[in-house]
Amino acid sequence: MSLKKIQIHKGTRVEFHSNELLFLAKSGQPYRGSLYVKFESQGESFDLVDFKRYITSLRCKTLNAEDIAYELYSTIENSINAKNLGVVVDLSARGGLQQRLSFGSEFIVTKKNNIFQVGE
Amino acid sequence: MNREDELSQLGAGETEYKYSYDSTLLETFENAHQSNDYWVTLNADEFTSLCPITNQPDFGTLIINYIPNVKMVESKSLKLYLFSFINNGEFHEDVVNKIGKDLVSLMEPKYLEIVGLFYPRGNISIHPRFFYSNEDEKYKKIEETRFTNANMNPVKVG
Repeated sequence: MSLKKIQIHKGTRVEFHSNELLFLAKSGQPYRGSLYVKFESQGESFDLVDFKRYITSLRCKTLNAEDIAYELYSTIENSINAKNLGVVVDLSARGGLQQRLSFGSEFIVTKKNNIFQVGE
Repeated sequence: MNREDELSQLGAGETEYKYSYDSTLLETFENAHQSNDYWVTLNADEFTSLCPITNQPDFGTLIINYIPNVKMVESKSLKLYLFSFINNGEFHEDVVNKIGKDLVSLMEPKYLEIVGLFYPRGNISIHPRFFYSNEDEKYKKIEETRFTNANMNPVKVG
């Protein structure tokens, strides 16, 4: 799948984070996780709605857990011209084991909370 | 009956995942401590279904609290049952009530409640709650108290 390009200022550092990653393991069991994307724009980014649709399309895609970071990386790399593109995926634990996969440029992920309902 | 004989999915080796709603996946085992009242809490952090109108995915945590009677839900069968909502179009309010009714019908518990903590959509998160008690006055009182006091201490979602 190719993501729709949008034009933005070159040099803008862009990060995406979603807690709503879901795809299928070879066993058929759904895998849940969070994804983090970071890159430096070369004048392009991708359309958010398109990216959401792409993430949603993974719900029925079967992958080895270890390949999910590359799947995201290659889709973005094939869609836009980006510098220092990196992808990190944190998967929910299975059998007591938690996995973090990454591909491309390394970066430290910044976790943000979801929008809250009522303040404390 | 041995617990191994009661259950077909736990320890079966190969697991079949169903991607359309199927309440027959649920299995029970017998409560070995029926003379005690005790709470069981099941937290399902990976619940997902679809919006019935837009088909966009919804995500949430389900917290199931119950006081068992004779039958108790087996957790692997519950996992498979909850996964079966993956392609099901359900409003948050409907899905929590549907799961609540399925579990009541399955276990006939003394008391059961479910809260669904769904991720925000359009800046609004929805937290439906389901309550049930059997006819015993003790559990009716628990239901009344918990229903009356539900959401007295709102929590952040995130």
